[in-house]
Amino acid sequence: MNIYDSHSALIKKKISSLELTTEALKKAQQNKNNSFISLTSDLALNQARTADEEISARGPRSWLHGIPYSLKDLFITKGIRTTAGSKILFNYVPPYDGFISKKISSAGGVLMGKVSCDEFGMGSTNENTPFGPVHHPLNPEFVAGGSSGGSAASVAEGSAAFSMGTDTGGSIRLPANFCGLVGFKPTYGRVSRYGQIAYGSSLDQAGPITHSVLDAACVMEFITEKDLLDVTNVANKKMTVVHELEKIKSGYLKDKTIGFSQEFIDACDPEVRNSLNDALKIFEKEGANLKNISLPHLKYSVAAYYLIATSEASTNLARYDGIHFGFRDKMSSKNLEDTYIRSRTLGFGEEVRKRIILGTFSLSAGYQDQYFAQACKVRRKIYEDFTTAFFQCDAIFSPVCASVAFKQGESKQDPIKMYMNDLYTIPVNLAGLPGLAIPFGHHKGLPTGFQLIGKSFQDEELLKIGHAFESVVKG
Amino acid sequence: MNYDVVIGLEVHAQLSTLTKAWCQCEISVSAFENTKVCEVCSAQPGTLPVYNKKAIEYAIKLGLATNSKINKVSVFDRKNYFYPDLPKGYQITQFQTPVADNGHLEILDEEGNIKKVGIQRIQMEEDTGKSSHLGEKSLINLNRSGTPLLEIVSEPHMSTAKEASSYLKKLHSILVYLGICHGNMQDGNFRCDVNVSIKPKGSDKYGTRTEVKNVNSFRHVEMCIEHEVQRHQQILDSGNKVLQQTLLFDVETKATKVLRTKSDADDYRYFPEPDLLPLIISESQIQKVQDTLPELPDAKIKRFILDYGIPAYDANVLTAEKELAHYFEAALKNYEGEAKKMSNWIMVELLRYLNEAGTSIERSPISPNSLAGLLNAINSGKISGKQAKDVFLKMYDSGHSADVIIKEMGLEQISDEKMITEIAQKIINANSVNVEKYKAGNERVFGFFVGQVMKETNGQANPSLTSEIIKRLLG
Repeated sequence: MNIYDSHSALIKKKISSLELTTEALKKAQQNKNNSFISLTSDLALNQARTADEEISARGPRSWLHGIPYSLKDLFITKGIRTTAGSKILFNYVPPYDGFISKKISSAGGVLMGKVSCDEFGMGSTNENTPFGPVHHPLNPEFVAGGSSGGSAASVAEGSAAFSMGTDTGGSIRLPANFCGLVGFKPTYGRVSRYGQIAYGSSLDQAGPITHSVLDAACVMEFITEKDLLDVTNVANKKMTVVHELEKIKSGYLKDKTIGFSQEFIDACDPEVRNSLNDALKIFEKEGANLKNISLPHLKYSVAAYYLIATSEASTNLARYDGIHFGFRDKMSSKNLEDTYIRSRTLGFGEEVRKRIILGTFSLSAGYQDQYFAQACKVRRKIYEDFTTAFFQCDAIFSPVCASVAFKQGESKQDPIKMYMNDLYTIPVNLAGLPGLAIPFGHHKGLPTGFQLIGKSFQDEELLKIGHAFESVVKG
Repeated sequence: MNYDVVIGLEVHAQLSTLTKAWCQCEISVSAFENTKVCEVCSAQPGTLPVYNKKAIEYAIKLGLATNSKINKVSVFDRKNYFYPDLPKGYQITQFQTPVADNGHLEILDEEGNIKKVGIQRIQMEEDTGKSSHLGEKSLINLNRSGTPLLEIVSEPHMSTAKEASSYLKKLHSILVYLGICHGNMQDGNFRCDVNVSIKPKGSDKYGTRTEVKNVNSFRHVEMCIEHEVQRHQQILDSGNKVLQQTLLFDVETKATKVLRTKSDADDYRYFPEPDLLPLIISESQIQKVQDTLPELPDAKIKRFILDYGIPAYDANVLTAEKELAHYFEAALKNYEGEAKKMSNWIMVELLRYLNEAGTSIERSPISPNSLAGLLNAINSGKISGKQAKDVFLKMYDSGHSADVIIKEMGLEQISDEKMITEIAQKIINANSVNVEKYKAGNERVFGFFVGQVMKETNGQANPSLTSEIIKRLLG
């Protein structure tokens, strides 16, 4: 079930929203991959019935009208429990509606439920959550990727046509890549963050996980409106790109220059490397110029990321103190300080506690210059690397991850290695650029793929290049 | 005293904007608890701050009014600490680069000379909620949470309690003149933290300072400084060391008590607020604000001295409050005499009664016009200065005009020359002995004749006219 075809079928009345929804609900209720934290079955059925009435009266009002979707549980939904994948918010029902929820529901989307993620978006495997790990839809022994694992799994298993994820260091692109889907992280500032539970505020960006680049474009049109409630939302142009993508035939890639770093490709596992080289050959065959570029500072990006993201997280997560909302340890707390300590120790999972401690240290007096401030300088260098590279190319081709999906439980054994897996996605967040994960090939039943990185605020061009590639591959 | 006293003040002024600093909630001191609260000021997950343009304008106003440099680019930072009335777990403030710095105010020192007190910085920040304690329970009211504040940090340029309160009064009057702060100290609109240290006379090394938090009246500021200076002195004289402490001033005992002893553990982990972009202020924006600045106390003082010929002391007193200055000028409008006389009556009489009644000049029962009427009656000789005080009291109690009271009291002076001449002639005729004495050079007898005329007329004869007539008759 994808957006574009379902939309056409709805127009032609070949199918109803209720049929699409009922089909998706069956899979969601089975929940065999543990994608969902909260199902919203009744809401979905009501929204589908309303959508059908509206569509039969006036036709669909948007690409998303009557289409089932899921939301990562970091998106605030008024009146619907929003947990951030954490025990500390296990009973939190927001009193307001976030930007994403508001926009998609006014476009007529049908909400299936809130899907799992690593707690507060902190992880690459969707195992860091008290709601249990999400399984890879093609093989339950493997992880779906994270942190938007529930998003990817719900789309792959067919319980949603698309899902909204968030990406701080690769959390949309990695699970999309592991599950054989398209994952798009727009330019920082392109999509409002209002109502998106913060992890690393200067890095977080919402985006869709879909079956195709075209579907990603369908979603983007409804979430790129300027939002006055997020002052870092600097884009003032609503994206209208689907009709342009529809016009793209073969030939669009001719004379485009695609930059890549041979070093990055060589560092990947053989099965991923093969897939990357095959993809590059297709670009070349389509008439694109391939250019080996140098991004010398990207090797420092993981270190910089884990200081900046955790520093921001350490203060973003200060509000979960057991006082105003969420989990409070009432039974054994002696006084205020004890309430803080016990609520936060028991409410947060191990990975979150680890990152809060790391971030707190990085911001501490006497250490801030060495760690946080230094990381910000590295970030600047990485941005400059990309700026220089983009003088020579239209998009940058890169791995999403050096390997295919990991085995369940593997990540616990070597956390540093796990952090290093984000090496190719993290620089894109540090530089605030758009990144598009595109599936291409399989290895032993697990999907492989690659990433395209675009110029700042040229999300449309990136989607066009990605769509052109997909058109060639899909024929 | 063998010590120099060093005083620095930090003032928190609540801005009188209609809405809070980062959201649209109304600011209200009287509203029922937790009714002026939204998702932003209660720090619900996923919320973001948006600048209040009025608050920025107000900050520029104060910057200009205190001769400060307005920074074209200033940055918001997070100050991190846990407290139940701080729902985000951090306060948004300005640490590295405040909106304005390097200003000064002019005050009169103890000798009446102009003294400049430096203003280190003016920073924009937000207020917390309020905690209260009810037996075992603690209650939190978030109505105040997110109210915009300006923190005004002085240089340690004051050396006496009087200077400190002069500085505070000047700053307070500027804030009220500008119309950017209600200035109600009992409502906490204007709060002061006092920093005091002492050092051996002439030494250039500062002593250890103590900080007294939230002193909420000018009088208490003076009292607490006097107390601290004495306390420091006793400690040093007995060979001990002053501890760096944060104190509270107890109004009952008129002494300070320890709130907490400062240690190196205090670390607010300041870092730039990623949810707000740097604040950019343009030259034209500054100019626009400059053009709307009202006449400020210093300019008013100079104008009062120059235009009305009143002493500097009077000008300072009369301009301390915007409404008082307005009263003075309104009273002068229908008054035909020396401005100094008006100034005396306002300062000595009117303010005394208003202070005793604990009321303000706006609520004066004697209107500016009525006071002018009273003074005109004195100047025209209608009543004597001594009688005027009784008339004034009756005016104050009844709110009636001078003319009405004078009539009521039957105080109108007899200025009928013919009538006074007749009475005086009668008295002279009946007292030939005294006439002889006067003619022999005994000037003192003159008073006897005046007294007799006064007795005859129940004190209503115009004294200067009476003297003139008697002098003429006695030849």
